[in-house]
Amino acid sequence: MRSLEDYHPRAVGLYFLAVTCIAVFSMNPVIVAESLAGSLLLYLVRHGFRDGKTHLGTLGLFVVLTLVNPVVSHNGVTPLFVVNNNPVTLEALLFGAFTAAMITGTLYWFRSFSEIMTSDKLLCLFGALSPKLALLFSMALRYVPHFRRQSERVQASQRAMGLYKEDNLIDAARGGTRVFSILLTWALENGIVTADSMAARGYGLGRRSSYTIFLFRRRDFVFLLFSILLTAATIAGSFRLGYSYYPVFRVDIPDAWGSAGLAAYGLLALLPAIIEIKEAVRWRWYLSKI
Amino acid sequence: MALVSVENLSFTYAGASSPALRDVNFTVEAGEFAAICGPTGCGKSTVLRLLKREIAPLGEKSGRITLFGEEQDALDSLRSAAAVGFVMQKPEEQIVTDKVWHELAFGLENLGMPQGEIAARVAETAAYFGIEDWFTQSTATLSGGQKQLLNLAGVIVMQPELLILDEPTAQLDPIAASEFIAALRRLNRDLGLTVLLVEHRLEEIVPAADRLIVMEDGRVTDSGAPADVLARMGDSPLFRAMPAASRLWRSTGKIGSCPLDVRSGRSWLEANFTNSVRALPPEEEREAGEPALEFSDVWFRYERSAPDVLRGLTLTARVGECFAVLGGNGSGKTTALSAAAGIFKPYAGQIRVFGKKLKDWRNQSLYRECLALLPQDVQTVFLCNSVREELREAGADPASLPFDLSPLLDRHPYDLSGGEQQLVALGKVLASKPRLLLLDEPTKGLDVGMKDRLLGLLGDLRDGGMTIAAVTHDVEFAASFADRCALFFRGEAVASGTPREIFSKNSFYTTAAARMTRGFYDNAVTVEDAAALALKNGRRGGLS
Repeated sequence: MRSLEDYHPRAVGLYFLAVTCIAVFSMNPVIVAESLAGSLLLYLVRHGFRDGKTHLGTLGLFVVLTLVNPVVSHNGVTPLFVVNNNPVTLEALLFGAFTAAMITGTLYWFRSFSEIMTSDKLLCLFGALSPKLALLFSMALRYVPHFRRQSERVQASQRAMGLYKEDNLIDAARGGTRVFSILLTWALENGIVTADSMAARGYGLGRRSSYTIFLFRRRDFVFLLFSILLTAATIAGSFRLGYSYYPVFRVDIPDAWGSAGLAAYGLLALLPAIIEIKEAVRWRWYLSKI
Repeated sequence: MALVSVENLSFTYAGASSPALRDVNFTVEAGEFAAICGPTGCGKSTVLRLLKREIAPLGEKSGRITLFGEEQDALDSLRSAAAVGFVMQKPEEQIVTDKVWHELAFGLENLGMPQGEIAARVAETAAYFGIEDWFTQSTATLSGGQKQLLNLAGVIVMQPELLILDEPTAQLDPIAASEFIAALRRLNRDLGLTVLLVEHRLEEIVPAADRLIVMEDGRVTDSGAPADVLARMGDSPLFRAMPAASRLWRSTGKIGSCPLDVRSGRSWLEANFTNSVRALPPEEEREAGEPALEFSDVWFRYERSAPDVLRGLTLTARVGECFAVLGGNGSGKTTALSAAAGIFKPYAGQIRVFGKKLKDWRNQSLYRECLALLPQDVQTVFLCNSVREELREAGADPASLPFDLSPLLDRHPYDLSGGEQQLVALGKVLASKPRLLLLDEPTKGLDVGMKDRLLGLLGDLRDGGMTIAAVTHDVEFAASFADRCALFFRGEAVASGTPREIFSKNSFYTTAAARMTRGFYDNAVTVEDAAALALKNGRRGGLS
């Protein structure tokens, strides 16, 4: 039961756009922490603790990114220790840590994004912009695997005739080029059939419409409205927030507007995880009735 | 009133010297199931394409085409696109988009239809064709039969009044082809949809058709109810493509009216001939030679977590014989052949070629004067821009080939017809002078004339000492081609023997002639066998 998958691509697409943009453009420590917490929680809710390797890799990246900054930057007023006459400062370390948190948080957002927004959902987004662009995208998606499969077939055929030598690099490269060149011919040749098939079904006669199997339901509207309101509140509140990393690490106590902004982003970041959890609980309840 | 009426249609392709069509006249009534048959190059595809304005070929046209009572050129462009549906031969290349549901909606999107209407039409069409199960899949994951069914559905969703099909089943295996034809018959019967198609495989089309149109050399030579057309048909080689029942009727002296399908052929045979002699004398066994290709307990899977494709396969093809491997889709036939050619390596068991383990043929010696594989998609054999270069690359001398390729030498391999491509590819693989020739579906997409030619060729190669192993779906071909057959099921050879042994025992997976004579004669597998037996027995009631 992964309910975020069932939301309309436009709502989900806009949500991810908002949540990642704010995360990338704001270095406010609270926002960065909220983004990392929200994205990590969403990933954990969807996958459980199974993908240990993924998390470990990300942790490694986090550590490396954290440590790089204090090595190259010596700003800040609180030296922790001195290496080769260069001070390693607390401020540089903190800046490194929050930059790393921002990047890993965004990484987790993208992981969930690419799982949830499959090609047909992206297509639905493009379709809203231009039906022609959507079609082009869809044709390209079909063509890439089609091309690769034919390439494998040609290579197998040539190998079985003993004409395709891969004993050394030069032969392999030569063989590869020849296969590629005939594949282009093949693609053009078969493109004619595809073009006929398109013309036979009235392509190019008039204005195309764009069909999608996704319906925009009431909950999509609610989700979209929430996302927009929370984003607006975050942006409004962000003007009242003061913080700095250098020369001294400082986060000002926010006023009412600023607090509201931070809370809004926290809610925004947690929104998908909340939806997932709510659906999972509801599903358990339904399941108990079956 | 005629739905389609073609009057005095002549057509010359741009740049061609002689016309492709001369004075073609025919009509198709509303609700008819009409089939056009004729040899390759007789102009039947040209006629179909001229009927579909959007993809009509360029050239000089004269005469009149009337569709739905209107001049073709006067039809509104949206109506013309939607009302005439066109399905072509190649299942894969006709597909435009990457998702099944999007492919179904494609035509309606082109018409600019609003979302709600598209949703309803796509839904009902998907339900009608049983596409719901793979509705959200990628088109790349579908089988050939599913792809062609999707192409049909993608046209039907536009609610055509006339459905035109140009050899729609040529690239499909027989089971998928039967399903496709059944879908056409259902559309014709349920919706009263007018169907006009061109096909080489007529065994199932002719009994279904209301009208058979015969074309030869750019002209319509006959048109009418199939039984009447067959009765009138002279000594045309076209008859070879007709259903087994009508061929039997013809080769036993045309008694009574012409039967078209297995059922009517059976009752016709039983009504007209006796069966006191039930079986033909057994075939002379060929001398059992040394093993040429030996599988012993071979196991193979494509990926570690995938299911086994070959499951303890054990079989032997002997030197100097034609060996046919039969079986359904996914039974591991093609995989076995590729494993024999060293493309895949089994994880257990041994494959021996001429007594030597596959891995002991080092440095590609396997492919020199030993073994050659002709793949299913013969286009994958070609790498050059002309037939001459192809042959030169493989080191083949066109003059030494057992068939003449000289008229084709300067053409691009992709421009040749399916049969010609098959010949050129065969010429290319023969260049390495193989002693063991492996063929994967050699009859796919070939017309009957070409099939006969291929049969003759393979027979000659065998008589020259070559061992030939072919994987095929085509039971009629296997019955005439093979000295021995093996039947595959789930990655094993479950039965093997001479075609007569195999096909006279099987009741579904067998030739039309065997199905027709089952229980009446014992070992008639081909129409020729059945005719010989019928003539030997003589007519019922003492007349002869």
